[in-house]
Amino acid sequence: MSKTLLKNGRLICPSEKLDMLGHIIIEGNHIASVGTQLPDNADFDTVIDCNGCVIMPGAIDMRVQSADPGAEHLESLSDLLAAAGNAGITQLVSLPATSPVIDSAVMIDSLKLRASSYKGALFHLYGAMTQSLDNKHMAELGMMAKAGVVGFANSLESVSNSLLMRRIMTYSKMLDKPIIHHCSDPYLSKDTDMNESETAIRLGLIGEPSIAETIILERDLNLVSLTGCRYHAAHISTASSIEALRLAKRKGLPVTADTSPAYFLLNDKATADYNTSFRLNPPLRDEADRLAIIDAIADGTIDAIASDHHPIEMDRKMLPFGQAACGAAGVETLLPLAFSLFHTHSISLTKIVNALSVAPAKTLCLPIPKLAIGTKANITIVKLSSSSVIRGSDFMSQSQITPFEHYLIDSKVAGCFVNGISVTS
Amino acid sequence: MLSKKHLLGIEGMPIPEINDLLDRADYFANRPKQSFPDILSNTTVLNMFFENSTRTRVSFEIAAKRLGASVLNISVNGSSVKKGETLIDTATTLNAMRPDILVARHHASGAPLLLSQHVDAAVINAGDGRHEHPTQALLDALTIKRSLGRIAGLKIAICGDINNSRVARSNLYLLSALGAEVRLVSPATLVSPYFAEMGVPIYTDMEQGIAGCEIVMMLRLQTERMEGREAPSQHEYFHLFGLDTHKLQKAAPDALIMHPGPMNRGVEIDSKIADDNSKSLIRTQVELGVATRMACLEAVAGAKL
Repeated sequence: MSKTLLKNGRLICPSEKLDMLGHIIIEGNHIASVGTQLPDNADFDTVIDCNGCVIMPGAIDMRVQSADPGAEHLESLSDLLAAAGNAGITQLVSLPATSPVIDSAVMIDSLKLRASSYKGALFHLYGAMTQSLDNKHMAELGMMAKAGVVGFANSLESVSNSLLMRRIMTYSKMLDKPIIHHCSDPYLSKDTDMNESETAIRLGLIGEPSIAETIILERDLNLVSLTGCRYHAAHISTASSIEALRLAKRKGLPVTADTSPAYFLLNDKATADYNTSFRLNPPLRDEADRLAIIDAIADGTIDAIASDHHPIEMDRKMLPFGQAACGAAGVETLLPLAFSLFHTHSISLTKIVNALSVAPAKTLCLPIPKLAIGTKANITIVKLSSSSVIRGSDFMSQSQITPFEHYLIDSKVAGCFVNGISVTS
Repeated sequence: MLSKKHLLGIEGMPIPEINDLLDRADYFANRPKQSFPDILSNTTVLNMFFENSTRTRVSFEIAAKRLGASVLNISVNGSSVKKGETLIDTATTLNAMRPDILVARHHASGAPLLLSQHVDAAVINAGDGRHEHPTQALLDALTIKRSLGRIAGLKIAICGDINNSRVARSNLYLLSALGAEVRLVSPATLVSPYFAEMGVPIYTDMEQGIAGCEIVMMLRLQTERMEGREAPSQHEYFHLFGLDTHKLQKAAPDALIMHPGPMNRGVEIDSKIADDNSKSLIRTQVELGVATRMACLEAVAGAKL
């Protein structure tokens, strides 16, 4: 059985309330020791000096759109999992908007089978809430639950029919699975190009008001109190949505939320020269929204940080802004961008680690990642104070369009173990 | 000479350059029968219109010919774009034929900027989506200047569908830059409050909006917007926001009327006003379009060399 020593790191484990300098010993696929006493190097197959690094329970990226099946040429599933592992992500959850849509047990079986033979991050799936994501007919949620989905999600269009949404929530509650909903009012968001703002007016682009997100979120929160369904608001981007979530949590509703780095590091002014790598859904919001998202991460109103990874063909980005597709790569920048909250906004490392590992696991009822003896050795190592610049062309994946091109980051992933095996190159 | 290679918009354009263009356009306007075949000799101008237009395209064509350029008109509506070719593919293909100046109109905001990033030619924006229509604003400014002798200090009301108008935006930037007091007059559904954040007063009452104005600039409103979308009906729109003799009395005594065309008679403007040459500058606007575009073509050709 191989033995690996991770020494001199800062061990941060929210669920064990751990923040100390120490070491970890991995034996086989489990954690064999967590401590401060440095053992003799001679006993190990591999010794990694983690001086200046955070050693954390393995990161879980709970919002990834795989291009496979349907657009494997953009990024195959094996490439995605390898790139994610190399970027410090030990588990990821893929959204159902593939081609064909993931709306049946047989799709789930086949994808899970394929993924099990790939190296890198572990693979989980959301099933589609509706058949072919048509937002009209409930999909076979029960069959998909048996096949092992971790929750049910929609595409980038909300279920606008409140009765259907109520029924999906009621049914999901019966199955004890969460609903992961992208919130946008179909009428207020139809044909829009970016956030409604002075920038949009100047560019002659059609703006979506930020409340387009909140209107659907508030409706959903009312349905949560009616049905008792576990509900997760996906990629929250606005201050008004934060207010709604705060209120819902205060009432004790079973509600969680995530956001992604674009919404706490960028604002809609970034689009001022029609650069389509900033065309995202939800759109980049204004500065007040951005700051509200950071506050919400700090106070726990937003539980998780996810990449919102979405491979897009270059051809669909090399278009006038309003005609370009929404989305960008995210898995390979998630960790350094999340840790920039520590460097630039003084959010504690424990909070960031929690948002990247424990919170997604809780929402999705996965085993809580922890640095504890006897648990699976899923571990991410992040080197703090290591300045570099993000370049899409440096990515391992073919999916290289990022709104963070040339963005300065202060940390980098220095190692990643999935079930005891190193998945970084 | 322009400081930038392309003429993509008025926003951010240095005031001396605007004045140079207007002076040169004025020079050409004073010589309406004269040709200047040396100015753009050996120059190829490509008119790429991805959106239908008669007056702007013809105006550019005549302007280019009077300067001695070879002109090619490409109406992209019916061509390879329908076969799925992207804007950049089209641009790259045409670029290989080495035009010197590309005059582009497109229904998508920002399309001329995107084109300019993929061609060697200098690009003139002939109107892009809701963004800008710089040559229209320049010809409007020239029209005002030649009619009233100045722009600074004038009260100018831009009336109609502001949200969807590139003409409104370009004129707002240009006339404000030259010292006019610009106001926007529009139903609240067709003017975003963000225009007020740019420091422009917004009026939703036409009579108050045009009160004391020396220039009343009307904009075209697509008829489908007045069928219960942004406005309840054409009937109500004309009643509240159409320019008629009664409302015009609120403007300055010798107020002049402008319209970029094509007009919806009886919807946004009463024919009696549109056709009254003592009040209407509409025909002058069209005439000065050629001189203005001559100045623009010459300027980008100069900047390119």
